[in-house]
Amino acid sequence: MLSPDFKREGIAVDRVGKRFGARWVLRDLSFALAPGALLGLVGANGGGKTTTLRMLAGLLRPDEGTGRVFGYDIARPSNALRRQVGYMSQRLSLYPELSVAENLSFRARVLKLPRARSAIAESIDRLGLAPVTNIRFDRLSGGWARKVQFAAATIHRPKLLLLDEPTAGLDAASRHIFWRWLTEFASEGHIVIVSTHDLAEAERCPAILHYVAGKAEGPMSPSTLIGTAGCTTLEEAVLSMTADPG
Amino acid sequence: MNTAQTIAAIAGVELLRLIRSPTSFTLLLVVPALQLLLFGHAVRPTADQVKLAVAGPAASQDRILRLTGAAGLKVVAHHLPPGSAEAMVRSGRASVAVELPTGPFAPVRTVIDASEPGLTAKAESQIQAIYWQALAERNDVADYGPRLHIERLFNPGERSDWAFLPALTGTIMMISMLMLGTLSMARERELGTWEALIAMPVNRGELLAGKIAPLVVIGSAQGVIVLALSAGIFQLPLRGSIFALVALMPIFAAAHLVLGYALASRARTQLAALQGAVAFYLPAMLLSGFLYPFETLPPWAQALGRIFPLTHFVRASRDATLRGADAGTVLLHGSPIALFLGAALMLAFAQHRARLD
Repeated sequence: MLSPDFKREGIAVDRVGKRFGARWVLRDLSFALAPGALLGLVGANGGGKTTTLRMLAGLLRPDEGTGRVFGYDIARPSNALRRQVGYMSQRLSLYPELSVAENLSFRARVLKLPRARSAIAESIDRLGLAPVTNIRFDRLSGGWARKVQFAAATIHRPKLLLLDEPTAGLDAASRHIFWRWLTEFASEGHIVIVSTHDLAEAERCPAILHYVAGKAEGPMSPSTLIGTAGCTTLEEAVLSMTADPG
Repeated sequence: MNTAQTIAAIAGVELLRLIRSPTSFTLLLVVPALQLLLFGHAVRPTADQVKLAVAGPAASQDRILRLTGAAGLKVVAHHLPPGSAEAMVRSGRASVAVELPTGPFAPVRTVIDASEPGLTAKAESQIQAIYWQALAERNDVADYGPRLHIERLFNPGERSDWAFLPALTGTIMMISMLMLGTLSMARERELGTWEALIAMPVNRGELLAGKIAPLVVIGSAQGVIVLALSAGIFQLPLRGSIFALVALMPIFAAAHLVLGYALASRARTQLAALQGAVAFYLPAMLLSGFLYPFETLPPWAQALGRIFPLTHFVRASRDATLRGADAGTVLLHGSPIALFLGAALMLAFAQHRARLD
């Protein structure tokens, strides 16, 4: 039984499923997260990771089950909920014709941040974006673009941060920086849910959900999954539990 | 042989992509079918829809009415007191007026609304033929019978550019706004910025208003520039309430922008969204009085044409420029445009998707 405080401050998902047409892409997803949680979503392509993130962001309506984020029903997402969520999609989704500063300013204004200028300055300073502030978004390298997208998703310091493969295509140093940011963000009491194909990265998460063919197991610690599979690394464990179509 | 195989492989894939793409299907079948239907059935300019009013002594009218009926002109008023037929043309209730002579040496006056020469040019030649036939029936000759005096109102020189330019202002605005509205939304979806946008606390009214506001200003400015260039380069007379016409421009621009958003809401690609825009503006151009006189269209095409905002904007534009209409007359054309905007807003809101599913 979840406490009333948890219902207001945490995430509770109960047997949630999603289908596109007649095809179910995700079923029986259940988990609960308290503030400060850092959850990794791992598994093969098409397993339901992006669908999970989109449902929590209010971008997809669940076809079965119930889900509440900070007490708000994810089937009927309100602007009040959207103000508390930061979402970073897999694609680079900022305006390519605008500069970094302009993109961040747009975010701050739509989110009605009370001190927009200081929020932008703080975000630029915290993530080290000063060298690219006045550069158009479409002229940034992949690494910078991802960092700016992260800045846009976190400019309002959301209580829930959803990231869909944020480190895809980044070099090792950039990945390291990213994971440091995520860990720090979660340690400040925010909930962070991140999907990744990099299983070495996923081992940094205290808890993971493992997706196989539209079903998610967990949350569990990476070591639990490794132990259950009788392997030595998370990569071996995930590979051993993923059905081989061949 | 290898080259032939490569070409066959590429051609095979191209054919498959064509067959399996709904956009190509629309481009190849639906749009041509629409063109065929409209050009084949609707666009048949004839003089039989030209509205004629006849005034003058009752005794002289019977022969004229018989001859005009035989010529296919549509008499909308007759047996009017002298001067009343001309008044009908000036107020837009008739296109041609015949004022029969009241005295022995007075001419037969024919007053023609020349703001649309495409509509009235043939009627003018028919009036001349009727005049000569009437003289012949009376065994008269021109030197002894009443002379024919033709007066062309609004566009005395029958300049085709003057007839075309006011309507062109609306057509340019319509195409620009429809394209901008459609592409703006479709581009957001293709780029992925739409996903980020709807994940933020924005409602559909704010979204739509924010997106169209700058484009409404741009569209209106575009209309003013086209009008100013028409006056500056082609000496298009600005005789009426130009301010009233300019006041209609934001509503006209917004109607097409909102429609563009509605059309693009369900489109997966920019190309697919453009198909919807083309399917709208093609019949609008044909049925609005821009390319062919509205009065010459069959009743069903006129009924369809009245739906398009362009039809009403073309009338407003001709009224404000050539006809010298006052603000009230020009603004009256805004009512159906505003109604269309309301319907487009409802469609856009209904089509709006705050989610990705």
